[in-house]
Amino acid sequence: MKGNKNRAGMAGQGGKKANRMSLNGKSRTFLLITIPIVALFFLFNTLPLIQGVVYSFTNFRGYGDYEWVGLRNYIDLFRDARVGNSYLFTFKLAVVTTIIVNVLSLLLAMALNSKIKFKNTLRGLYFLPNVLGGLVVGYIFNYFFTYILPELAKMLGFEGNSMLANSKTAWLAIAVVCAWQSIAMNTIIYISGLQTVPEDVYEAGSLDGATGWSKFRNLTFPLIFPFFTINLVLCMKNFLMVFDQIMSLTKGGPAQSTESISYLIYNNGMSGGQFGFQSANAVLFFVLIVIISVAQMTFLGKKEEQL
Amino acid sequence: MLRKNKKILFAAALSFLGLSAAGCGSRNVDGEKTVIELLHYKPEAVSYFEEVEKRFNESHEDIELKITSPNDAMTVLKTRLIREDNPDIIGIGGDFNYANFIDAGILMDISDFDGLNSIRKNYLDINENLEFVPTDGTYGVPYMANAAGILYNRDMFEEYGWQIPKTWDELLSLCEEIQKAGKLPFYMGYKDTWTCLSPWNSAAASLTGATVCKDVNRGATTFTEQYRTLAEQMKTLLQYGPKDFAAYSYNDACTAFARGESAMFMIGSYAVPQIKSVNPDINIDSFVYPASDRAEENILTSGIDLQFCIMQDCPDKEAAYEVLRFFLEDENVQAYMDNQNSIPCKEGTFTLAPMLDGMKECIEEGKVTDFQDHFYPAEMAAEALIQTYLLDGDTDKFLKKFDEAWVRYNRDLIEKVKKYEAEH
Amino acid sequence: MMRDKEKSNVGLTVLLIFGLITIAFPLYMAVVIAFKQPSEMTNSIRGILSLPKHFGLDNFREAMRVTDFWRSLGNSLFITLATIALSIVVHSLIGYVLGRSKAKSKFYNVIYLYLVSGMFVPFAILMMPLVKQTARMGLSNMFGVILLYTVFYLPMNTMLYSGYLKNLPLALEEAACVDGASTWRTFWRIIFPNMRPMHATVAILTALGTWNDVMTPLVIMSGDKNTLPLAQLNFQSQFGTNYNLAFASYLLALLPIVLFYIICQKQIIAGVANGAVK
Repeated sequence: MKGNKNRAGMAGQGGKKANRMSLNGKSRTFLLITIPIVALFFLFNTLPLIQGVVYSFTNFRGYGDYEWVGLRNYIDLFRDARVGNSYLFTFKLAVVTTIIVNVLSLLLAMALNSKIKFKNTLRGLYFLPNVLGGLVVGYIFNYFFTYILPELAKMLGFEGNSMLANSKTAWLAIAVVCAWQSIAMNTIIYISGLQTVPEDVYEAGSLDGATGWSKFRNLTFPLIFPFFTINLVLCMKNFLMVFDQIMSLTKGGPAQSTESISYLIYNNGMSGGQFGFQSANAVLFFVLIVIISVAQMTFLGKKEEQL
Repeated sequence: MLRKNKKILFAAALSFLGLSAAGCGSRNVDGEKTVIELLHYKPEAVSYFEEVEKRFNESHEDIELKITSPNDAMTVLKTRLIREDNPDIIGIGGDFNYANFIDAGILMDISDFDGLNSIRKNYLDINENLEFVPTDGTYGVPYMANAAGILYNRDMFEEYGWQIPKTWDELLSLCEEIQKAGKLPFYMGYKDTWTCLSPWNSAAASLTGATVCKDVNRGATTFTEQYRTLAEQMKTLLQYGPKDFAAYSYNDACTAFARGESAMFMIGSYAVPQIKSVNPDINIDSFVYPASDRAEENILTSGIDLQFCIMQDCPDKEAAYEVLRFFLEDENVQAYMDNQNSIPCKEGTFTLAPMLDGMKECIEEGKVTDFQDHFYPAEMAAEALIQTYLLDGDTDKFLKKFDEAWVRYNRDLIEKVKKYEAEH
Repeated sequence: MMRDKEKSNVGLTVLLIFGLITIAFPLYMAVVIAFKQPSEMTNSIRGILSLPKHFGLDNFREAMRVTDFWRSLGNSLFITLATIALSIVVHSLIGYVLGRSKAKSKFYNVIYLYLVSGMFVPFAILMMPLVKQTARMGLSNMFGVILLYTVFYLPMNTMLYSGYLKNLPLALEEAACVDGASTWRTFWRIIFPNMRPMHATVAILTALGTWNDVMTPLVIMSGDKNTLPLAQLNFQSQFGTNYNLAFASYLLALLPIVLFYIICQKQIIAGVANGAVK
């Protein structure tokens, strides 16, 4: 079977499908699969989430007794400059890193998917950063930013201060490290996307004289658009939840300029005694992420249909 | 077909249940022996605890001591509190967590423990002082203390004939002298914000005393009034450190000091093992941070580094006391000191580690005050506020921010203190 | 055009090889540091980049001793492999159901959104309630961790599987359906094997998430058993970190996952090439 035929076939068959199936059996099986899985999900995700929401109305420290404080935590959230700064920092980081990662990994995926020598070896090597844990990568890059980069900068005639010691540049260093690590995964997803593009589409395109940018713009990109959607949503979500890189690179410094939302929630909620307040923060964070992601998916979904 | 599907799902559900069943009920009940579990937060001293555990169990037939030394112990401890799987004894520091635990009512009052008689009065006082509002009980047995001051490279000092400074002015002129000799006076690891607290605590001991935070909570004073000199001293010292002081971590600073890149290092005695791992031959001594211009006003910052508390729900108090008595035997106290270069909280004659020579006088005379940061709640991130200040240098802004942050992060506590004050 | 196909792009190959520096350089740093002694560390560019005085395996031996390597490795392997197996089965099933139904059924669309939105729940808010809940259910152990992972990765994997389903034509199932096969059998015989490339992706994603995770086993198992990342916390005490031993240990922990990675990577490519997609 050829991909393009399938694609063409799918739309056509869509209308007829319902009456052709043994409807009853199928929907019953579907229900039987869905119910236990959703139950499990409810038990270990939604239920604790509800409990977390309950805690957000208390001054719970994580142990011992606590009191109800009503909406105080939520009101405080909007008055707390530190929380505000953490949202600004996290969103700035997430947006910039998402753009960097998607541009680079799309380029890399196309390069690794074209006719090159040592294709498999090169792919393997480029995917390597992905297997390292976020903490480990952070530790390695710490040495790079503290000792190697300043020295290189000095050779080029700059002042040679550490990027991590300056509250104006530290976030960029974190963006670089996040990108270095996640480009690999996004490249994999793009490559599997590119592989679903059948050769004959290109052949047809070449006959029409499509080359370079216009080939990418009009042929390749629309076909891998679902993969673009997945990458964009995953990237945003992952970078909004950035934690390991902060822990290993800056611990929120210098001058509290890189305190990410997750860092603040964990550090003050778990290590500190602000569990109730940070639960409120987590609830707000959750709601925001859902809104952003749904917006992203709806927007991209519409685009997908247009293409 | 449908029945078959059901069967498979049922089997899947069963296997889930099976998995969970395999996990529970594995705790064994140990005959007549009372099992006492001790969880402590000093994984670096694990070899000491293993030794004590072994010898205790050899010499006690009716009690079995189980010592847990988890990594990231405070997280583990807090999760165990959540799941109500409390150990019997916990080994923690004398800090804000301890005060919180007392406030939360999870520690046992051990006023009747006979071992408390052998503990130095000043460390018991330090513990009392940590409590948010005074209580009648005693909740911890101070075991080991640490001290923060200034470590110095003894060989380098001898080579150049530098003298130990006794006052703030002497310290500054010493720094000038060291700089003239082409050396760096201090190395700073301020990228790790907590290292900012070491000189901060040391200076505060002489400049403000340990009751500032409690006075602020009572509404008697503000940090803007109390911390100005302290803040300015911190800023002054920056010129004697590396240029990019916020670039280096604690580890970097230890490495640099170990390799003779600086003459002094403002950090506690706990840093010595890390320094010696880089350079085992370095000859380190320490002196009390001379924050005041009057030599006699300078006192040592020393707090409780490790103390044992019994949990409220420990079923066998006597057995727990027996464990604590064992830890307090002179031989075991000395063993811990040798293992960790610590200062004992117990009365008696013990041999201090050589890098504490310069602080010996204060330690023996009891001229000590608790660490300032033992009163700071972790979530306030006072150390990050200090780092921010050192980076931008605006003292007024910093002090104002400190006061605001204090009120913000201690709101419930201040309310509690005010209520207590009104009642008493 | 045929000639064009055979000729490989030399310029691009060179460029890609050159770009490998960005990958190799940080890894080189990790390897060099792993072989050095603490006394060889200096705060300078040379101290980081110079070769160790001698390439002994002492650090690795010591790192293995400190982490109780084989036992921790065994626990990590068990948790990771069990999570992958469960994830592939459970998530592909639900992904299939939702992928096929969410467009035409409001009910399934709501279920889909409900499950996928779980991806955005910050772990921090779940942590404490989960600690309590798993303890009550007797799940403060490796099985609990595996179960939790399966639930944590469900949203993303469901999204991936149901997204991938768009590439599998309905005609595939319909043909089987006409032959009288049940939905259940159709899934196992036709859909499941055809989702192989996505299985590989899911396996990699899940493996990476679980293999390097510290937080979940730390709070759920609380010192009961060590996984490799938990054991590696040993290198960091409050007042000192031995980065040389730590890096040696990180490299050791890297080997199994790199191996797994290589296998899965081939699966993706082979899977995509041989799958029904093409």
